[in-house]
Amino acid sequence: MSNDARTDGGTVTEAGPGASAGLLSGLDAYRVLLYLGLLGMLSFFLIPIESGLVTSFKTASGVSGSLPFAPPTGGTFTFEKWRAAFDALGRGLINSALYAIPATVISALLGSFTAYGLTQSNWKQKYKAPVLALLVAGVFIPYQAVLVPLSQFWSMIPLQEWLGFLWALGINNDYASVIELIITHVAYGLPICTVLFRSYYKNMSDEMIEAARLDGASIRRIYRRIVLPLSGPMFAVVLIYQFTQIWNDLLFTLVLVQTESSAAAPIVLILAGLGTSLEGQDFALRMAGAFIAALPTLAVYIAFGEEFAEGVAT
Amino acid sequence: MGTLELDGVTKVFPDGDGEIVAVDDVDIEMRDGEFLVVVGPSGCGKSTTLRMVAGLETISSGEIRLAGQRVNEVKPQHRDIAMVFQSYALYPHMTVEENMAFGLEEPTDLSDGEIETRVADAAETMGIAELLDRKPADLSGGQRQRVALGRAIVRDPEVFLMDEPLSNLDAKLRSELRTELQRLQDELDVTTMYVTHDQTEAMTMGDRIAILNAGELQQVATPLECYHEPANRFVAGFIGDPSMNFFPVERDGETLVGDMFDYPLSGSTLDDVGDVTDLTLGVRPEDISLAGDSAGDHTFSTVVEVVEPMGDENTVYLRFADAPEGETFIATVGGLQQVSAGDEITVEIPEETIHLFDGTSGEAVHNREIDE
Repeated sequence: MSNDARTDGGTVTEAGPGASAGLLSGLDAYRVLLYLGLLGMLSFFLIPIESGLVTSFKTASGVSGSLPFAPPTGGTFTFEKWRAAFDALGRGLINSALYAIPATVISALLGSFTAYGLTQSNWKQKYKAPVLALLVAGVFIPYQAVLVPLSQFWSMIPLQEWLGFLWALGINNDYASVIELIITHVAYGLPICTVLFRSYYKNMSDEMIEAARLDGASIRRIYRRIVLPLSGPMFAVVLIYQFTQIWNDLLFTLVLVQTESSAAAPIVLILAGLGTSLEGQDFALRMAGAFIAALPTLAVYIAFGEEFAEGVAT
Repeated sequence: MGTLELDGVTKVFPDGDGEIVAVDDVDIEMRDGEFLVVVGPSGCGKSTTLRMVAGLETISSGEIRLAGQRVNEVKPQHRDIAMVFQSYALYPHMTVEENMAFGLEEPTDLSDGEIETRVADAAETMGIAELLDRKPADLSGGQRQRVALGRAIVRDPEVFLMDEPLSNLDAKLRSELRTELQRLQDELDVTTMYVTHDQTEAMTMGDRIAILNAGELQQVATPLECYHEPANRFVAGFIGDPSMNFFPVERDGETLVGDMFDYPLSGSTLDDVGDVTDLTLGVRPEDISLAGDSAGDHTFSTVVEVVEPMGDENTVYLRFADAPEGETFIATVGGLQQVSAGDEITVEIPEETIHLFDGTSGEAVHNREIDE
């Protein structure tokens, strides 16, 4: 950006002595078209979001009586839909966080461990290669292909019995599905996390790791003191990616939780049915719900944004 | 006792169906406190040798003994060896102090106070005491190399290994650190194995030089021995800058017959040659002298093709008077002597300065005489 500004400044001084003449010479047809094009793309992406936002603040008559992107006017403005959406989705927010956060952190950590083993350890290549091949294949398995085996698998595991001590504490036994979701998402996310970390660790200086080995560090200590502290940017990438995937996933929740009436129903499951009834759709309520459901992913992007940019650049 | 012995050390890398012998049956014995420079062209196996001593590469066959103990199976972290890398290999997220303390934390049972004292001492020795709180990214190349050296000496190991530690520095800094490294090694008296491709570093720094070519050890000797009494043609050509001139010759009775000249030999030289007839004559550029008008058995008339003035001396590219253009050999003459391109001059190649090598095997059959 700043480079651009400097080159612009250069052309201005070359163009002529007067500042106004310089400004005019900068405004050639190409620039005008460029800015118009950018403006067009900006509105193309922003109008749906703007429409959703203004709709969520409209009463039913406001929604039917005005254009979707027109802001609500005095009589049709209301916070009611946001309150209702929050009431309906509140427990879903907590349930989703209960599995999305642990699953994200565990899959990122395990991915980092695995990638470290596949790159920096001195295992023989002939042992690493098949493990890596399996993981890469795992990245490409579509969700749909595992749905039936997944429900079969969890029906064979007596999770309800094993967690009996939790139910005895007064916790609703629907929450077994939270554990199932954590394990399922960790298993499903491990391949992509490993592949991402592996490319990052491949670029790490071999000499630095060797120096640490000669400094007397064990393989575990090298990870803890050298590799892990240097993995920050890639953790940001993986955490954002995994959190968004897991938070937004509907298919696994449909298979493992099944119904929004479950005490452990995640937000996506409740959102799917929010504002639909026999009388028709409550667009304002659906919009407010969608914004509430999207907020956590937005927060994660903002929190790790800087490291994310660094991690993507490497 | 930091003696280091390499006994028939061999490294074989698999390559597709076949294999590549990177290091072939290398024997080196280093006494305690010795500074050995391992030198050779790139790809000669010198770094691989060093990495085997460090434990970063497995040893295909042979044995490495450190202080008399076989270490082939000992992991690098237990070898009590410190290594300095070409890329410095500092830990970028740690300060200079943490970088230096890292090697003291786990394997030793030093208290925090002792670690701090030792780091401070080593930093003092390396002249980096005021940099302890900085991160590697804030240091210049020379400072980083000092930190890397400091990280090695703070551990007080049995052996230092250095893998081209100065090659990323500019020429001036390199010669400065070269002197400093020598002084440091002398002071610490720690056995040091130093790998380089730069024959100047080899000549100036080491107690002894080990010259490797294509994985095979050519010669282990003091720098001056390597210079004046090379074991073979490769050593003769590798050590010395500009390098030795070589002329293929055929022995005919008491005369060496080359493409462009005849060179009569005296009795004692002939004794060394024995019955070998296919020979290579070698002579160092500084041993070729301007003969003026005098003529003798060993003077030749030549034409000057190019003169490279260096200030203290001129590097002169000569060719024999009737040789085709471009077929030159090199002589260095004093900087004040007037020589310019196109001149016809007579040069002398004195018999006491010549080396003779077996034309096929390259082994030295006769080396120059040295005045004691």
